[in-house]
Amino acid sequence: MTEASTTVLGAEPAPLGGGGPPPRRARGILRALLANRSGAVGAVLTGVVVLAALASYAGLTPFDPVAQHAADRLQGPGGTYWLGTDQFGRDTFSRAVAGAAGSLQVAVVAVAISAVVGSAAGVLAGWFGSAVRAPVLAVTNILFAFPPLLLALALASMFTRSWFTIAIAIAVVYVPIFVRVARGPVLSLRETEFVRAAVVVGMPTWRVLLREVLPNLLPVLIVQVTLSLSWAVLTEASLSFLGLGTPPPAASLGSMVLDARVLVTIAWWTMAAPGVVIVLLVVGLNLLGDGLRDVLDPRRAVR
Amino acid sequence: MTRLRMVSIVLAATLALAGCSSSGGDGGSSDAVGGSGGTLVVGVTSDPDTLFPWKATQFQAVNVLGLLYGTLTELDKDLATKPSIAEKWEYSDDAKTLTLHLRKDVTFADGSALTSEDVKYSLETIKDEKTAAVAAASLAAVDTVEASDPQTVVLHLGAPDAGLVASLASVNLAILKKGSTEAELTTKANGTGPFTLGARTPNQSMTLEANEKYYGGAPKLDSVEFRVIPDETSVVAALQSGDVQMATLDDPLVAKTAGGGNITIAKTPQLSYHALQLKASTPPLDDVNVRLAIQCAIDRQQVIDTAAAGEGQVTGPITSPLYKSDPQARPCPTRDVAKAKDYLAKSKHPNGVHLKTIVSQGEYATSVNEAQNLKSQLAEAGITLDLEVMEIGSFVDKWVAADFHAAVALNGGRPDPDTMYGRYFTSKGNLNKVAGYHSATLDQLFAKGKATTDEAARKPIYADISKELEDQAVWIWLFTGNTYTAMTKGVSGFTPMPTGSLQYLRDASVK
Amino acid sequence: MTALRRVRTHPLVRRVAEAVATLLGVAVCVFLMLRVIPGDQITATYGTEAAALTPAQREALRSYYGIDRPLAVQFLGWLGELGTGNLGFARRTGQSVASMTAHALPVTLELAVLSTLLGLALGVPLAMWSASRPGALRDIVGQGIGLAALALPSFLLGSVLLAVVSRYAGYNPNARRYAPLFDDPGLNLQQMLFPTLVLGFALTAPIMRTARSALLEIEGQDFVRTARGKGVSPGRIRVRHVLRAALVPIVTMTGIQFGYLLGGAVVVEQIFSLPGLGRQVLTGLLQKEYAVVQSSVLVVALGFVVVNLATDLLYRAIDPRVRES
Repeated sequence: MTEASTTVLGAEPAPLGGGGPPPRRARGILRALLANRSGAVGAVLTGVVVLAALASYAGLTPFDPVAQHAADRLQGPGGTYWLGTDQFGRDTFSRAVAGAAGSLQVAVVAVAISAVVGSAAGVLAGWFGSAVRAPVLAVTNILFAFPPLLLALALASMFTRSWFTIAIAIAVVYVPIFVRVARGPVLSLRETEFVRAAVVVGMPTWRVLLREVLPNLLPVLIVQVTLSLSWAVLTEASLSFLGLGTPPPAASLGSMVLDARVLVTIAWWTMAAPGVVIVLLVVGLNLLGDGLRDVLDPRRAVR
Repeated sequence: MTRLRMVSIVLAATLALAGCSSSGGDGGSSDAVGGSGGTLVVGVTSDPDTLFPWKATQFQAVNVLGLLYGTLTELDKDLATKPSIAEKWEYSDDAKTLTLHLRKDVTFADGSALTSEDVKYSLETIKDEKTAAVAAASLAAVDTVEASDPQTVVLHLGAPDAGLVASLASVNLAILKKGSTEAELTTKANGTGPFTLGARTPNQSMTLEANEKYYGGAPKLDSVEFRVIPDETSVVAALQSGDVQMATLDDPLVAKTAGGGNITIAKTPQLSYHALQLKASTPPLDDVNVRLAIQCAIDRQQVIDTAAAGEGQVTGPITSPLYKSDPQARPCPTRDVAKAKDYLAKSKHPNGVHLKTIVSQGEYATSVNEAQNLKSQLAEAGITLDLEVMEIGSFVDKWVAADFHAAVALNGGRPDPDTMYGRYFTSKGNLNKVAGYHSATLDQLFAKGKATTDEAARKPIYADISKELEDQAVWIWLFTGNTYTAMTKGVSGFTPMPTGSLQYLRDASVK
Repeated sequence: MTALRRVRTHPLVRRVAEAVATLLGVAVCVFLMLRVIPGDQITATYGTEAAALTPAQREALRSYYGIDRPLAVQFLGWLGELGTGNLGFARRTGQSVASMTAHALPVTLELAVLSTLLGLALGVPLAMWSASRPGALRDIVGQGIGLAALALPSFLLGSVLLAVVSRYAGYNPNARRYAPLFDDPGLNLQQMLFPTLVLGFALTAPIMRTARSALLEIEGQDFVRTARGKGVSPGRIRVRHVLRAALVPIVTMTGIQFGYLLGGAVVVEQIFSLPGLGRQVLTGLLQKEYAVVQSSVLVVALGFVVVNLATDLLYRAIDPRVRES
């Protein structure tokens, strides 16, 4: 399987040719990001959802997401309950926001784990010879060959259900992407002048990797992280939809959609709320990823 | 390889594989309307997991096999025991001999007549441990089976067993033809029931044809098709579009939204009960004060309202209509947190307890919501439920190993209270390890109940058992839910049963 | 170079060897994973009644299900059976997994093919329209549609579609028994209609985005500018030169998505009651049908590996520059 197959699950092919200008300072990046159209829209959308999610962590939602108001079941939007209530009388808006928090929590942890593990494996596989490369690639190929949702299902079934085990299951599915994404640039970076110079001068390997290789990898990795986050949100929602995600009463966007299926013709808002949040989050993260790519790696910008 | 060639290869592969796509007569239109009865399409969410009656525990399997295979006795809609293959029976004076007189007109699907040899074979093979039959323990009291003449079977019992005749109604004790094996019956069913097995596409659909020679009278319907629609919401969609005429719905919320238009929903209280099982054999639950504290801290109606949207009835231990427990007959019929705290203070753990509680997810609609509500109610009395939510495989493993302090469970009920609880709450019961409690009092009462064949005399005995179970707060019995049978207009003659059995499909008809 | 060494280092041979090794790895992984998941055939068959089994009954069952043999023996036994074409049997129905898979595979294939075609039919024109004037309104709209298709989960779209259409239009072909394509093409295509719409729409996003980037990247290249300078009409350039050059990434992406669809769009199959491969594996997983899951996952992995191999070869054939890397 070639580099091209990294396009699975939202990864983009690695740039051909290695190295590049050293990364710009963070403030400069942020300004450039907001000047870029996709980046700005993406940042705003993602920011809104993330803020709402954080608010829910701080308990700042209009109602407690799990509190049931039996007398107010299945009320429409508008009035006391901004987006209406569900079949148990729970406030849809608060639940949607709490659901966003839950999904983000799983997605962030899953992508963090897979990014760290995957990139480390990818860098090592790219840098060292076949002794390291062969097993890493073998494992990557095996994981790739599994249908992703089924792999996540099987992994999730092995442990007691909790948001953390779901995150691990999703992380395992995404590790191969990061391995691929990290390995490509390392292969070409290895041959560049400044890296070769560092080796010749006698810099220890770990230092070379940390100071010369990693900073050049960061752009690609950051872009991949945002794209993977959006896919992780969708995967977590799919798992919850199949009844195998974060257990209730923790609100999760997928399980809200699952519950709402029954109600969609009599209480459309119970389906619309989680749906809109999912769309906002996924669109936001994708646009953010596009913007970051334009900003961090202008050679690949397509405008 | 060009793209065109790749596409042609894919197409060729599809053609080749699709060539073997149909199986046994299931192609073409699905609704055959002909003859007086027509075809009734029942929407189900899964296929039966076995076609062997003696191993069937799954709800769907039990229901379908109940239509294919006959039993010695059967239950009517009030769960009273009625004759079926055995047209009459009598006990000897010492209640240690049960003589069953069989009907003469019972035939198997392959045409052969049923005789006492088949009954003897069936009962003996069920008892044989190598068969691993689910109901082997129901025949524990039976020492020998004698086929004295082709129409008579005599059971010699080691000790009286008043619940035996009722348990013979279970499809797990279906009478199979002498010499039948699981392997044979999995491919070709051979029963005495009102229907025979017609075409089948595994995991998709199963058609039962009316058995003209059924001894209870041929069914009005020509055939019944059980169509697998894996998703309950999609079943409702199918009912609403009229492609399916009947379905049994579990989830009260789905049932609520399905009604209206040309769909009626019949609500039937279930025999199975929702309970918080406690393992009284392990500390801290070995202290009756702790258990009573739990009992007093729970408002059962609140559990029903929050977990099942109000669809259920508070219950005591025994749910069968003839022996029903009075839910008020317990130390704390209503919630009393002060009293609960009192009990806890009196116990060996006045500072509160932590209980490892297992909960299944995905098996039935209300499990996790019940657990959450119980947890929040008990927290107010200083009792903490440490919930472990898991999928059904892990839950069963832990339940079977009795690896828990408490378990949120939905257990099946039986029409006879001895069959229902004897195996749990007697010291020799095969489920006693899971139940976690036994006492000399209960052992005596159960033995008495088993030995008393007179109905009127049995009732007070089981009332005593129920009281003892509640006074000792052995488990926390919560509520019984409902079975919702959805039927489109035009379906008539069907009576849902509290056991969920579909046996009255034999009287149903569809326009 | 000797003939043997040429064979050994030939990229095709290497790829095939890699593929075989991958499949073996998948086999081991799925075998072990199934055994780690709590529950076994006994608890799957008996549920909580398993607690009532006597030790003798348990022993009889363990030997009946073949789980009394050591794991390694079971694994090798399974591999051996695979070699003879015996994919095992489903415990519940006695059906052979090979026959089950042979019935499920065409369903998944048909859905995959139709969805991919729809995705291409929607995605490529949309990308061309979008890329024809980058940054303009049409580009924003085009990308917006692409993003919406990406973000809207298929299970949400599918559920809403099914609920609304069956309730208000009384139209629900998926509630009828599944009709294989050659038995009843009319009903079959109706049953594929909504699933294809849902999946095809979801596929539009990655296809459109890849196509758009590729088109824009190529439009900026020299040979296009030359053609334009020579006076070739923009439309002709777009279709004959640019699109053809953009085919490589588009085909690659399509191949990958198609490979993933072979894994079965589990959720869509579940909602629309399509008896495809994804549902077969999911149901097998929930029912602890080890033989079904093991062999089906292997078949899916095989399909995925084959499609990837094919796309790789295609990639190399189309783009000579890649051959050397």
